[in-house]
Amino acid sequence: MTLSWIPDLTRAVGVPRLAGIGYPPSRCLGRPHDADGQRAVLRGTLELLESAPGPDTYVELPFVWPETPAQALAVSKDVPLPPITQLC
Amino acid sequence: MTIDSYRFLNFASRQVMKAWAARQEAGVIPFAPLRKPLSECTVALLSTAGIACHGDQPFDQEGERRNPWWGDPSYRTIPLGSTEKDVRLYHLHIDPRFAEADLDVVLPMRRLQELADEGLVGRPAPTHYSTMGYILDPEELVSKTAPAIAERMRSEGVDAAALVPI
Repeated sequence: MTLSWIPDLTRAVGVPRLAGIGYPPSRCLGRPHDADGQRAVLRGTLELLESAPGPDTYVELPFVWPETPAQALAVSKDVPLPPITQLC
Repeated sequence: MTIDSYRFLNFASRQVMKAWAARQEAGVIPFAPLRKPLSECTVALLSTAGIACHGDQPFDQEGERRNPWWGDPSYRTIPLGSTEKDVRLYHLHIDPRFAEADLDVVLPMRRLQELADEGLVGRPAPTHYSTMGYILDPEELVSKTAPAIAERMRSEGVDAAALVPI
C-alpha cells in the first residue's frame, strides 16, 4: 500500500491501496520526534491491507497538519531549488 | 477526494504536479489480496527520499546537475534498526533536514517495530528500501529497480510493502 501527501497524482498513476494525507512534503509521516502522530499515520496506512476490497482503494487519513501552507513552506525557504528550475 | 494535494506547494510546483497527474494513465491496476492476517505479516518499507547508509554509494546528484531531466533510478537497502545517525539523504527536490532529525518521518522503521510489538503486524522485514523519487523517465525503475527490490523482499519472506513517496 502507499501513503501519499499528493494523492491526486499517486492515484492517477494507479496503485492498489492508497492512503492520502494532508501533510506537507519531506515529512509525510508527521513532524520529527512526534512518535504518537507518526504511529497513528502508519497504523492507518497498514490497516488498508486488510480493509481494501480491491484495486484503486482510496482512503483519507483524518489528520490535520498544525501549520498553514505558508508556515510549512517558510521552514524550507533556504533549501536550494532543484537543477530543473534553472532550465525554466 | 477532499484532500487538496497541492496545498503545500508553491505556484510553480503546483502547476507542474497538476499537469503531471493529468498525463498519467492508470491502466490495469494490480491487486494482491492479503493471504494471511495482518498480525502475521512481514512488512517492508520503501521510501523515495533518496536515503543511503554511510558507506554505501550516494544517489547520483552530480548526474542530475549535469542533466536536470535525469534522476538516479537505482535503490539502496536500509537494514532494520538504522537511524538518522546511520544515513544521509540524497534528493535535490526535498528538504532533507526533517528526516535527518528523525528518519521515521520518511522511513518509519521504529514505528513499524512498535506496531509489531503491539500485534498489529507480524514483524518488520530485516531490510527496508529507498529510491530517489525524482525520476521523469521510469523505464529503468520499472524494468530493473522494482523487480530487484521485489526479489529481495521475496527472499526475506515479505508479505506486504508500504510505499512512502516523499
